[in-house]
Amino acid sequence: MRTEAIDPPGITWLRVSPKYVTVRLASWALANLVVVALLCVPLVLVVTGWWENFPLWLAVALPAVILVLALWRLLLIPRQVRAIGYAEREDDLLIRRGIFFQRTLVVPYGRMQYVDIGAGPVERGLGLCTLKLHTASAGTNAEIPGLPAAEGARLREQLSARGEARLAGL
Amino acid sequence: MRPDTAPEASAGAEAGTPDGAWLRVHPASPFVRGWVALAAIVFFFFRDTFERMLQGGPLVDEQLAGRAPWLLLGGGVLLLLTVLGYVLSWYFTRYQVAQGYVRINTGFLFKQQRQARLDRVQAIDIVQPLLARLFGLAELKFEVADAGESAVRLAYLRMDEARQLRATILARAAGVVPDPAQPGAVAAEAPEHAVLTVPPGRLIGSLLLSEQSVVVVVGGLVSVALSAVTENRSFYLFLIPAVLGMVAAYWNAINRGYNFTAAISPDGIRLRYGLLDTQAQTLPPGRIQALRVSQPPLWRLLGWYRIQVNVAGYGAAGSNGEASSRTTLLPVGTFPDVLTMLSLVLPDPGTPDPVRIFTAGVNGMAPAVSVEGPAGPAGVPVEAAGSGMDDGGFVTTPRRGRLLAPLGWRRNGFTATATALLIRSGRWWRHLVVVPHQRTQSLALEQGPLARRFRVADLVLHTTAGPVSPRLIQAGLDEGRALLDAQAARARAARKRQTSEHWLDQVRPLVAGASHIEEPNSQEDRQHG
Repeated sequence: MRTEAIDPPGITWLRVSPKYVTVRLASWALANLVVVALLCVPLVLVVTGWWENFPLWLAVALPAVILVLALWRLLLIPRQVRAIGYAEREDDLLIRRGIFFQRTLVVPYGRMQYVDIGAGPVERGLGLCTLKLHTASAGTNAEIPGLPAAEGARLREQLSARGEARLAGL
Repeated sequence: MRPDTAPEASAGAEAGTPDGAWLRVHPASPFVRGWVALAAIVFFFFRDTFERMLQGGPLVDEQLAGRAPWLLLGGGVLLLLTVLGYVLSWYFTRYQVAQGYVRINTGFLFKQQRQARLDRVQAIDIVQPLLARLFGLAELKFEVADAGESAVRLAYLRMDEARQLRATILARAAGVVPDPAQPGAVAAEAPEHAVLTVPPGRLIGSLLLSEQSVVVVVGGLVSVALSAVTENRSFYLFLIPAVLGMVAAYWNAINRGYNFTAAISPDGIRLRYGLLDTQAQTLPPGRIQALRVSQPPLWRLLGWYRIQVNVAGYGAAGSNGEASSRTTLLPVGTFPDVLTMLSLVLPDPGTPDPVRIFTAGVNGMAPAVSVEGPAGPAGVPVEAAGSGMDDGGFVTTPRRGRLLAPLGWRRNGFTATATALLIRSGRWWRHLVVVPHQRTQSLALEQGPLARRFRVADLVLHTTAGPVSPRLIQAGLDEGRALLDAQAARARAARKRQTSEHWLDQVRPLVAGASHIEEPNSQEDRQHG
């Protein structure tokens, strides 16, 4: 994996499963297609002549713009999934994400309050899961999506063991 | 029902709080809490009768003879049921302090038991709403960092009971082991030493110079101008709700901030404030997760500052005025006051010259021409070594990033002492954020496309919910990356040093530290007064 600019040097990132792209595609389709379909309603009404004084160009432009944006996001999905990485270091867990808006997060093991594993229907079908770390701060927002179930279980055990060993108060 | 049980409860309380005894809150408390409901019922059902009594007429109107008794009966039954509910809720509310836990049982249909670990107590408040104050009652409220909904409330206790219980809880939380030979022994209240007060004049002045006053003045001028130009009086109508809102806001601020007093005791920082409703907060040592010193532009005229803190359990200061006053460590103060409060929060600033560093953090700005010239190699952290001397060691946004923040780039910066990370920002709205190393939860480096173009990045420190969200804006990329690693290491080292939640175990010489703090204060007071 190409090391991005804001990552600390000398980290070998572990990647999430490429199958996670499917999960993202499913949620993309659910969200965007519904919106585009709704925005197509004026167009249909104008074309069928039910709604005459609505400008045709607006009826076309509205869904078209949203569709283009949605397609752009669709093209980004595989790269975004490839940009998700995590690395276990001696005392903390690193999680990175993003291409345009990058974020590299450091969660010390001693700060983890608990570790969650969740899986939505699509993820479950593909044998994936999402690991979520919770600290005392709501801003931490540390989650690793698209982990293979076995890797997720291993990571959870590993993190819990390490967190136990280094647990500190607030 | 009441007469049988009340003496028992108060007798238990007077015996000092023996460990493990179940106690009840004051019998009057549901009435103090629910007087509005009672008053509403009385007003609603008996208004008619009262009016007639006052007029000297017959109690029951002849014309309504069929209905009025039923109305009165219904009102009476409702009143009786409400009072019965209050009495039951009082009877079934019991609390206990034992074995490192506070337990509170409530409810008679749906029973609820809450328990809170004493060594996780983050802060403890004694709140006295006006009515409770008239009766000499107080609510004890403490924040525990165990669960999501963390405030544990005991309402109402007699004032001396509340203070006694606060002392007991703080002593247990500090790690004082109760003497098994004397289970009824009373924990002595820690002696306290007043540090600063905010005079009412300064509080009012701070409100007059606040942003909302500017909005008031500008809004007034605009509406006057609009009415003059359009010769239409209706603009004044829009002002009425605005003025009402503003008056309420000012009144709230005065009511909450009046007579603000800070004191230090071995149990932590004590804050007292309030005009009608008074509140006494205790913040045990080391419970402050992050702190922000800020100065709106108008306050600079008089050199005033505000300090807000994040404490686990206090939560974010939203529209709720209570939360915002609880997270305020200093509503308005001079620079010596700020240094005093900082010395209380950070007894060990971790630097030989804290005054210089904090001054640079609050007021300082990097020199306009840094050592790194326009042609200098981008990203080489020479600023830190070069210009750091004049600026308290603050590492600011590199010169190449000045287009991103044309005003703030010389302010936006950080420095780390041995115990805390200092982040400053803002040219007009000046902010200095202080995060103790052992309180860092997690941290992240963030970079958008534009920032990447300028080779800068933001560093975000995550702390518990509150008004302070520490974010280092536009640090140079290499400095940011180095800081990410260094800060993670520093936080780790600081956590290793701090092993126990019992603060007496970690800071035995705190009382010595408190007397140590007094020296600069007295100097500053002299200088100030």
